[in-house]
Amino acid sequence: MSKNPRARIFDVETDFQQKARRPGGVTREKAIRGAQAEIDQCKPEFIDWLDRELQALHVAIRQAEANTAALSLIDQASYHARQLRDVGSTMGYDLVTFVADNLCDILEAVRAGARYDNDSVDCHLDALALATQAPYKNLRADQLPELSQGLRRVFEHLKSLVADV
Amino acid sequence: MTSAAINLRDLVILIADPSPYLGLLTQSMLRGFGATKVIDVRSSIVVMKTLTGQKVDILLCDARLPPHGGLNLTRAIRRNTSNENRTLPILVMCSDADVSTVKQARDAGANMVIAKPMSPSSLYDRLTWIAFNPRKFVDTATYFGPDRRFKIEGYPNGVGRRLGDKAVEIAEEIGPALAQSEIDNLLNLARGG
Repeated sequence: MSKNPRARIFDVETDFQQKARRPGGVTREKAIRGAQAEIDQCKPEFIDWLDRELQALHVAIRQAEANTAALSLIDQASYHARQLRDVGSTMGYDLVTFVADNLCDILEAVRAGARYDNDSVDCHLDALALATQAPYKNLRADQLPELSQGLRRVFEHLKSLVADV
Repeated sequence: MTSAAINLRDLVILIADPSPYLGLLTQSMLRGFGATKVIDVRSSIVVMKTLTGQKVDILLCDARLPPHGGLNLTRAIRRNTSNENRTLPILVMCSDADVSTVKQARDAGANMVIAKPMSPSSLYDRLTWIAFNPRKFVDTATYFGPDRRFKIEGYPNGVGRRLGDKAVEIAEEIGPALAQSEIDNLLNLARGG
């Protein structure tokens, strides 16, 4: 039981809840179809965005390599890696999301004190470049077990470098 | 299976995401759901300005929203007693939706968390859940927000990950909610014997 005698529990029905339940709503199936159609309209521009974002990631990684003690540079690289991870699957590029997610883990480990390892990062940049090309762009990580398991092993290796330091 | 259809027409939806492209994608999904009034901003400062300047019906905010972070923003909205948006539904979008982040979002007062990358189905299900399953609010010295004692056993009308998912059931109230610090104290006492 709460020790706070002033705790109060009360009902709330917001405008959102009232209005969203009005008649004339969009069913789940129709809404998902509609959203997917809207996303599809973004796809032509997405290819350009993906190229720009990969370029920005490369630049950020090179700057971070040059000064691995500068956490702001690691954060900048992480920002671009996160963008790729957060957009990839939504646009149908599951492999991009997987590789970028692994890269985010690596950069997070570096930020937490792991040694910056150029090879570990570079193989992820290569994998990202591959993941944007046909026929890989429409594949999931589980359809490329050697690549995905290899990248996870790279991450595990990097974590072991932490232990060595 | 009946369908819990959600009507977003004329509802003002505020998206707060540091990434312009992710903001655009979220807008696109909402338009596909029938939303007609979507505002897209990049910082917690602009969120606060927007909330004071106009009526907003729901906030979708990124957990890493600069400069204060989406969870601090959520906390600020909930804890400001003079703020008429205190009970505003808040859906927190997380890149790293691990257990710790979800708990932090819950304790900040978020209605629900959604993991990025988002899919149309995951976003629709969460909006539907917020709309069709209003939760009581709890006001204590240390927490203001939706009652944290809830469990999702499936999204409305049987939409869930498993065939056997049930409709949502919220436990009966048996007393005021415990604050997180009180729960932690109890657990620490129990662990200490």
